[in-house]
Amino acid sequence: MANSAEPTALLSHLHRTDGSATFSQNGYTVIGAVNGPIEVQRRDELPEEAAIEVNIRPSAGVGGQYLNVFVFLLDLTISVIGTRERHLESILQSTLRQIILITNFPRTLIQVTLQITSTPENATTGSKLVQASSNLAILPALLQTAILTLLSASIPLAVTLTSVLLALNSNGKSRTTFEAPTVVQFQAADSVHVLAFTSQGELLVAESEGAFTLEDWDEIYETAKALCCDETTGEVIMQGEAENKGSLMDFVKSTLEEKVTKDLHWKD
Amino acid sequence: MASTAPASTLSFPRETFAKLSPHPYLLAHLQPTSTSSNPTRANGRIATQFRTPHINNGSLTHAEGSAVVRIGDTTVVCGIRAEILLANNVAGYRVDKSSTAPSSKAGYNEAKELDLLVPNIELATGCSPAFMPGQPPSTLAQSLSTRIYSLLHSSGLVDGEDLRIWYQPPDLSDQDKMEEDEEDAPEPEVKAFWTLYIDILFISLDGNPFDAAWAAVISALKNVRLPKAYWDPDREMILCEDSVAQSKKLQLRGLPIAVTSLVFKAKEQSQAKDHRYWILVDPDTFEEGLCDESVTVVIDCGSGKTKMLGISKAGGTTIGMQELKGIVSLAEKRWLELSDLLNT
Repeated sequence: MANSAEPTALLSHLHRTDGSATFSQNGYTVIGAVNGPIEVQRRDELPEEAAIEVNIRPSAGVGGQYLNVFVFLLDLTISVIGTRERHLESILQSTLRQIILITNFPRTLIQVTLQITSTPENATTGSKLVQASSNLAILPALLQTAILTLLSASIPLAVTLTSVLLALNSNGKSRTTFEAPTVVQFQAADSVHVLAFTSQGELLVAESEGAFTLEDWDEIYETAKALCCDETTGEVIMQGEAENKGSLMDFVKSTLEEKVTKDLHWKD
Repeated sequence: MASTAPASTLSFPRETFAKLSPHPYLLAHLQPTSTSSNPTRANGRIATQFRTPHINNGSLTHAEGSAVVRIGDTTVVCGIRAEILLANNVAGYRVDKSSTAPSSKAGYNEAKELDLLVPNIELATGCSPAFMPGQPPSTLAQSLSTRIYSLLHSSGLVDGEDLRIWYQPPDLSDQDKMEEDEEDAPEPEVKAFWTLYIDILFISLDGNPFDAAWAAVISALKNVRLPKAYWDPDREMILCEDSVAQSKKLQLRGLPIAVTSLVFKAKEQSQAKDHRYWILVDPDTFEEGLCDESVTVVIDCGSGKTKMLGISKAGGTTIGMQELKGIVSLAEKRWLELSDLLNT
């Protein structure tokens, strides 16, 4: 299966959850489901806002919170399994708290479950299954799935978000930016960046790894912003490129428009 | 009125105010009503002031390297144990010719592929009231472990060459057949690797765990002395020299420093209209409970030019490009302060 850099999505395909979405891009596929607002356990209850719970299940290995405890006791080297998911969960949790109108649902729980179903195979270093690459590569797919899932569940949001993964090779003066880098490009890159913007164009998440300078980051910021959201700056940068390559925000919009027309089909 | 009790005032002691309504308490400090008092944080520092760091190296006798880092009331002990991993114990490890070896591929990271660096963070019981005995590792501990792990590898701090144990097989061919082909001289081969177990223990935690933990890791890695190890062909095992003189230190690539800041907003509600905010560097636990947005930058100014090694920002939309530049310039000052301590 070719890893397409173009995103694809499927909305509301799981019928027992309040909202669901499958999102794939760049070889990563994530299924997301959301339940909420539902009853919250007493110890997690917040008096003035909804509690957000994010569960991430990896495509291979144990990501479970409780299994993980025993793994910890058995062998330190394996402890890397599962801790990665906890870290990603905490990034997602603090991000989703900002965009869901949590104050509308005090003393409830909104539970987001994300199952990673496929990751791009690494042809060159066919080695480690679980910790194959850095934890950044999967983050945009997780964020994007989470937002589509929430939209599918019609949970009130303040803004939506879009997220991209960029890899940067910078030798001296010349910089090469890879949008949606392959595994090889990702590993060979000097630095990798994940940025997420709200629909109003504000920077919501920024995670960067590897060596770079502040000027490199500025360029990454501009590129990412053009890829993510506003059509105006997007057009300027993309003029030379293929016409059908809209921003990610357009992708979210068109996916939802499709779903709405399908849902309202009976009216016609 | 018959009451003889002193007129009850509507003021609380500071501690009560802080407990009852922490957000207005911190806001009142940052935005004093009287013009005579300077705006400070509740802990007496100004918004851009860091806590004084203290570093003590080599206090653990049984570890290859260790450090105790204290930043305010946050105290971390980091101990590094080195163990030997035999190359023939590595599943699928092949001694390839240098041209086809996986190590020649771009982006190959031997330390990562073989798990030669194993960091683990423990938030000890009693380091802060949030940690009860007998609990599984908290999300915070697991998240911190992952961040330390990925920063260790993405910064390329430890040179893979330092962790290899080489063996030069003796050239035995000379005795039988003289100078038949000189190119047949046996190549040196890697017989084993050093694995560094990096254990980080929080003795007390008062905010900003990542910066303290990372400073402790750097300081302990600088303190590491690996004994001279060699392959003994007769016994077919790795032996280590006893003498300290023959041991050697790790050659670290650069000196990255992590700096965390939080964004404190004037309004508690995240979607409120009031957009006034303060950027608080090196936050303590009290401040961490009141702020959603946090930014960690990892920088290295060692080569004279500021090199960024990581940005990690989540939880809000206040920090944009301009604000980040301000944080980086604060981090540069902190780098100077910490690098003095780390290099002594």
